Amino acid sequence: MLFFSFFKTLVNHEVTVELKNDISVRGTLKSVDQYLNIKLDDISVVEEMKYPHLSSVKNVFIRGSVVRYVHLPANAVDTPLLEDATRREASQAASKAKQSSS
Amino acid sequence: MSAPAPNGASAGAPQSANDARDPSGFLSEIIGAPVTVKLNSGVVYKGELQSVDGYMNIALEGTREFVDGKMRRSYGDAFVRGNNVTYISADS
Amino acid sequence: MASPEGPGAVTSSVNEPLDLVRLSLNEVVFVKLRGDRELKGRLHAYDSHCNLVLGEVEETIYMVDEEEEGGNGEVRTMKKQSEMLFVRGDSVVLISPQA
Repeated sequence: MLFFSFFKTLVNHEVTVELKNDISVRGTLKSVDQYLNIKLDDISVVEEMKYPHLSSVKNVFIRGSVVRYVHLPANAVDTPLLEDATRREASQAASKAKQSSS
Repeated sequence: MSAPAPNGASAGAPQSANDARDPSGFLSEIIGAPVTVKLNSGVVYKGELQSVDGYMNIALEGTREFVDGKMRRSYGDAFVRGNNVTYISADS
Repeated sequence: MASPEGPGAVTSSVNEPLDLVRLSLNEVVFVKLRGDRELKGRLHAYDSHCNLVLGEVEETIYMVDEEEEGGNGEVRTMKKQSEMLFVRGDSVVLISPQA
């Protein structure tokens, strides 16, 4: 849930999604779901000459599993808050594991 | 893969101390020992086994990385994601 | 369901492999990925899938030039920088705290 919540805070920011097939798509993050599927608006393809078949596409839905990276605007990320949320999630996961094994 | 089974289960015949009853029993017995971890890519890691979980995620200490038998790198500590693991072997 | 260690003993022990990653929060880590890629950056978030957020990242990509058929394909490296990067966990092979 941590990254689902995290991406929801980035809605309407400009991001670049790099796919596992090396294509990079830049656009406005419009929505995200629990699988980290992503919807982008107003897209442009980085290295357009290499991938001309996407030049007329205006928006995309990207399946989460094909994503390698998402490049984010650093000023939109509150890193101390993110680290605290990570620690909370880690301790929740640990207590869940303890429950199921005792 | 589910979480590691509780170890207290009474297995059948009595076995020698080094002869683990099941795979996760084997893994918990070799915690702290020097191990060789081979990945699906063919890369090999040698180090001291700190911990393992039900996904075969692994924490190693004093790790050396070997590619085609040649040492490439060393790490103080290393976390290896379980899905990449082919085997974990206790160095004797 | 009180935990065996009692309250307060929860956060700083190394019992499971991901604890190693937890102890690297806000530290620089080295990450090895599938596809001959490596990252170095400051760890700001992770989860049990090894999804990561890294800051001030340098990516190194290793590419083999296979033009020569002799097999002595030289390894080229390409470096890229990123100020803030989400990494999908299924690409992760190894995470190591940078000493």
